Amino acid sequence: MNVRGAIAGVLAVTALAIPANASAYRTWFEFTRQSNISSPLTIASDYGGGYISTQTWRAGSGTSTDACWVSHGWLPTGWYDMWGHWDYYDGTIKGRVFYLSNKPCWNGTWRSALFIHSEETAAQGQYCPTAYDDPYCWEGAGDYYSNGCIKVSRAGNPSDLRLVHGGWHSRSGDYRHGSFGIGNFLYVRDY
Amino acid sequence: MKRVFGARGAAAAVVVVAGGAAAIVGVGVFGAHGAAPRTGPLSVHAGLKKPPGAVVRGTTLVDEKGARSELGASVSGSMMGPLAPVAVRSTDGKLIAYNTWQELRPVDADKSFSAQGIEKGAALGVPSLRIHDDQGQDFLLARGAYSAAWRHDGAIAFVQGVDPVFRASAAYDGQVVVRRGVHGRDVTWMSARAHYVVYAWAGDRLLFYRIGLGEKTELLVADAPGKIRSLAEGTAIAVSPDAARVAILSEDATSVRVLDIASGREQSWIDVTIATPALRWVAYSGSWVGDHIVAPASAGLAVFQVGPGSLTLEQVLSLDQAQFPAGVQEPRFVDNAGNEIAASADVPPANGNNGVSFLLQCDRVVRTCERTDAAPAKEWLRQVDDTATEEGGQW
Repeated sequence: MNVRGAIAGVLAVTALAIPANASAYRTWFEFTRQSNISSPLTIASDYGGGYISTQTWRAGSGTSTDACWVSHGWLPTGWYDMWGHWDYYDGTIKGRVFYLSNKPCWNGTWRSALFIHSEETAAQGQYCPTAYDDPYCWEGAGDYYSNGCIKVSRAGNPSDLRLVHGGWHSRSGDYRHGSFGIGNFLYVRDY
Repeated sequence: MKRVFGARGAAAAVVVVAGGAAAIVGVGVFGAHGAAPRTGPLSVHAGLKKPPGAVVRGTTLVDEKGARSELGASVSGSMMGPLAPVAVRSTDGKLIAYNTWQELRPVDADKSFSAQGIEKGAALGVPSLRIHDDQGQDFLLARGAYSAAWRHDGAIAFVQGVDPVFRASAAYDGQVVVRRGVHGRDVTWMSARAHYVVYAWAGDRLLFYRIGLGEKTELLVADAPGKIRSLAEGTAIAVSPDAARVAILSEDATSVRVLDIASGREQSWIDVTIATPALRWVAYSGSWVGDHIVAPASAGLAVFQVGPGSLTLEQVLSLDQAQFPAGVQEPRFVDNAGNEIAASADVPPANGNNGVSFLLQCDRVVRTCERTDAAPAKEWLRQVDDTATEEGGQW
């Protein structure tokens, strides 16, 4: 299912989708699995009349291409709800994060607690104390690897993370933060 | 390698282990076929009719002699994937504990929860552990439980869910408990509620994972009930045959360390991305026999040699990525010499075909494998883990 093909399914589902801004557009993400460290993450907004506006960034997920491999494989295909969004999240994952609903892979294994995020501190900064791979520092392409989460770059100004985050708010008109639900927030498919 | 010394004195065990290790070193270097194992591609052919050891698939158990018996429920590793085996045999060989999943409502994986009218917190299923004994009896061990490991004395550790029902919610929190015998009472070893997976016993110490946000894994060791310490961030490849050490995989899956479990001290280390040949990643849940460790790897399989204070990549066995795009999981040495390896190979859905699983048995000296026929991936065709009867279960 591509972006346009997804429209019918998206429009059919309104549960949980309650944008704070009534003038906003239905907005969702698509992640097309190509490789663990280079797969397009696209934000799509339905402006009506068959017009879908998109913007795409490089993203990564997992270390292997087996979605049933907990803590190792990329995330399973299908639609995901979003269970929360935070700007200053302060768990083992920090900063700007989108929390995805759980998903069973193709043999029934549950993947859980997966996010769209990057490598930054809770204050949205960079913490790079060593010459090695620091978890809250975007050093380069190797940082696209994950245990299953979708990761986008925190490098550059504006960073892809900032564009993803800003794009979500401005397109959807939904400026809520914290734990709340958005239906059909992300669609993951194969290339 | 079957358990050879049971509960005899530690001194005798040390002597036997030392002797066994020396013999295995000799065979490992030169190989059972008189040739040294070399890096190269594996040639995989159909025709494996009887995998080594017992296997499970759906509601069927096939023992090491090929006898089939009916399980009380379908096996499923839905709660942990390959982080822990779906079926494990007790130290005395008489009992098999296996994981099951009772679906409370169907979930279409292609659709979101909201599109299926599944509200947050809705009940989706119940994981349970069951026991199948050598007389064919099959009974529930614990409801709302998963990931079992047998101790040498017959005690069994597992994760007991706080709420037995798995829900469409953030986490399935549980506690780690140990039951002294299948009909005994539970003793809580880890009371703090979190998402855990029990990995294995190392003698009297219990190794288990705490799974965090983003499926970040931390390996914990319990020296006794309530005496918990963090051993490492990352996952475990295998416990040493003497149950004193564990091979740990880093969180980024690029380096392997051998740690002394009692002290947590690192004994050796290797970065596989700069080894020869270099690997992109290594994965968890492998096997350790003698001084050899086998692990899943980006190319297929990686075999390491453990020396005193050293860890070297001895051999990389590559698989045809077109045939096995997701590689192999849970490889295990199935002979004393460490030359024969059995593993699962899952092939993800593609081109409208559902995912399937194979079992492979490979000779790493001549680099050939035989595979079983394909089984639907949802039937969880897997080896029954015999670790408690051989490796980390002994002391």
